[in-house]
Amino acid sequence: MWDRREPERLEQRIRVDRDGTVTALSGKIDFGQGLRTAFAQIVADELDVPIERVNMVLGDTDQVPFDFGTFGSHSVAQEAPLLRKAAAFARRQLIDRASTKLGVSGEKLDTDAGAVVGRGKRVLYGELIDSEPLAGVIPDRVALMPETRRKYAGRPTPHVEARDIVTGQATFVADVRLPNMARGAMVRPPARGAKLRSMDDAAARKMPGVIALVRQGDVVGVVAERDEQARAAAAAVEADWHALPVEGPTAEVPMRSDPEVDERLHGAAMRLAQTYVLPPIANAPIGPSAAVADVRADGATMYVGTHRPFGVREQVAKTVGLPEKNVRVLPQITSGTYGRNSHADAAIEAAILSKGSGRPVLLQWTREEEFAWSPSRPEAVLEISAGLDADGHIVSWRYDEHTNVHTAAGLDPGVLGVTSGRNAVPPYAGFPSRVTLHIEPTRLRTANFRSLAAAENVFAIESFMDELAALSGQDPLAFRLRHIDDERFRRVVERVAEASGWTEHSGNRRGRGIACTVYHDTYVAQVAEVEVSLSGAVRLIKVWCVVDPGQTVNPEGVRNQIEGGIQQSASWTLKEELLHRDGRVMNTGWDTYPIATFRDAPESIEVFVEGDESAPPTGVGEPGAVPTAAAIANAVYAASGARLRSVPLTRERVRKAMPA
Amino acid sequence: MKLALTVNGERREVDVPPNTSLLSLLRDDLGLTGTRYGCGRGQCGACYVLADAGVGAPGHGARAVASCLLTADQAARMEITTVEGLADGTKLHPVQQAFIDGDALQCGYCTSGMVISAVALLARDPRPDETSIRDALAGNLCRCGVYGRAIRAIRRVAESS
Repeated sequence: MWDRREPERLEQRIRVDRDGTVTALSGKIDFGQGLRTAFAQIVADELDVPIERVNMVLGDTDQVPFDFGTFGSHSVAQEAPLLRKAAAFARRQLIDRASTKLGVSGEKLDTDAGAVVGRGKRVLYGELIDSEPLAGVIPDRVALMPETRRKYAGRPTPHVEARDIVTGQATFVADVRLPNMARGAMVRPPARGAKLRSMDDAAARKMPGVIALVRQGDVVGVVAERDEQARAAAAAVEADWHALPVEGPTAEVPMRSDPEVDERLHGAAMRLAQTYVLPPIANAPIGPSAAVADVRADGATMYVGTHRPFGVREQVAKTVGLPEKNVRVLPQITSGTYGRNSHADAAIEAAILSKGSGRPVLLQWTREEEFAWSPSRPEAVLEISAGLDADGHIVSWRYDEHTNVHTAAGLDPGVLGVTSGRNAVPPYAGFPSRVTLHIEPTRLRTANFRSLAAAENVFAIESFMDELAALSGQDPLAFRLRHIDDERFRRVVERVAEASGWTEHSGNRRGRGIACTVYHDTYVAQVAEVEVSLSGAVRLIKVWCVVDPGQTVNPEGVRNQIEGGIQQSASWTLKEELLHRDGRVMNTGWDTYPIATFRDAPESIEVFVEGDESAPPTGVGEPGAVPTAAAIANAVYAASGARLRSVPLTRERVRKAMPA
Repeated sequence: MKLALTVNGERREVDVPPNTSLLSLLRDDLGLTGTRYGCGRGQCGACYVLADAGVGAPGHGARAVASCLLTADQAARMEITTVEGLADGTKLHPVQQAFIDGDALQCGYCTSGMVISAVALLARDPRPDETSIRDALAGNLCRCGVYGRAIRAIRRVAESS
């Protein structure tokens, strides 16, 4: 699905302008995970130019090569080699041109900071772009810059857009201002999927600033000169809706089925069965969904936040009845959305409003709309049974994941296994297992959220590993190591124990918990330290994390991503639960859906980036968030004796689970 | 409704409907989009600006306030500074520089509000301890999870003052 079919052409990837500016193109999107910076580092190194001269264009559908989407922490792994090759090929062409121009053999020429040099001469790249742009099919093999000459990759580099962000100059989607731009607001039904029977918009049409009332099918909205005017008019529309419950799909996917699971479980010396429960949670971006649409008779321009610019192009083209080639999607810097922007809700609505009003329209959802109408992370119920032999080895493992569908990618069992069933198969070795994914229906709108089902599955698996260790009187660290046969995995687990001083006893109502996983070939192990009050309140004190993402382009970027993943996951674990009735979300504000604040942040999150430099780069946007819930729950157990199998770990739950 | 107000040291005149929020005025009438909408209820901090009600007013000195909760009319009685007004020409405010140096941001949507809160804190308490920093920024929500980095960045500014 993510494979490219066509060989890539240089002109789709790298442009060098006469002033020496380098433009590099990618269909991947940066939501704050630092791709723009990592890509710029690679291009600057390979083309031998200062990084300030590299301008990354991400996702502009009129310019960048087709891309399926930015998901699953694949971006660096997928794009880094392609951009590196393209930049290296561009450098070789520049040397060839200089060779012709100077009459010096290419072998005698080298590059230095944006110029070709040799034989005492120096030609700036820009001077070599006088006639034809750099072009051609990028060959499979291009000589790359030796690692010793890389100036940026592998070194900590702050976000390239940081200055624009701290000065307020960065243009987020809702900051786009077009001439004659109007503002939109939607009229929302009582429940998703409701059909519009009739509406009375006479009063709304007469309100100040109103330009148009727009209806397309069951989508209704107002366009007005100002934001407040659009909202006031939308609230004045009287609509009669026919609400039909929308139910999510059902499926059953066998993910792994080794022989003898039941027999061995039955004959085990010790057996344990437990159930773990995680509620639905919200992506809860700080910036609600937004889009600017400029739809005209002959074409449309869309300013959006999205993981899938080409997907948005297809959907918008269909919605407004234009050929895809006449729709240009320009992804903007966007609030981090952690998966939510896989759905182009605001873009489609803005396009309808722009088409219906004949004006460019900015639509930004309200905070309430964002909570109420966004897709959420599904709930999960995880049932595990395992048997141990007399020596404390696992001899059998049975796992049933009950959840709702995590993506819109369809119900193909192959896809479900790697999306809704992500990380359901344990990373441990030496025993047969049976793992089954049960997709159950829900009326809540569910979709992609950071790491998909991995955070839920790893909470269950890593909590259960601790419970098995306790049952058989083993140290949780040693018990895990007995069941790890992958050397990179073993190393991160051993290293996190070392870095955190695992053997030290915290005491004083404090305790430490460990959890680890392998997520899309990124190895990650964490130790959390918590303090549990007598009343059951959990305070996260410290987290240590060792991560091996293979070859590392920007160690500082990796640290920032992993820290953020841990902080966000701690918030999910300690605070968050989306409440809904028949799919209607009940907590639609920060007061009813609190997330971690500055006061909740742990004293420290120490991240050790220890990539195996001989392994290809893997993703870091998601893995940091994956083991944190179990590390915290295991720490709560160590601190208080309370074993929590449901998150969030609220004061009430912890108090009730405390041993008398 | 015609209004004159002082934003980033400049006197600005606008004509907005009654009850327009300061946030909307900044973003839609003055083009100062660095101040961002997050919730409209003063619960997230994305829209914080510095507001100085002047000598003699209660809480004299620039405070971080939610521009979504102030009406344009109320703001006309204060001096408003937005994130765009913090730098001195090309020289960034030390808090802005510290956020860059410490890579104390990811998506950046909440950054303006955090920087504003930190500037207000350091103006009234140049050497805050960590608890004071956490308290002063408790109203600034960040979903990407850069709290630790922001605390360290603000501490560095305090220590070098």
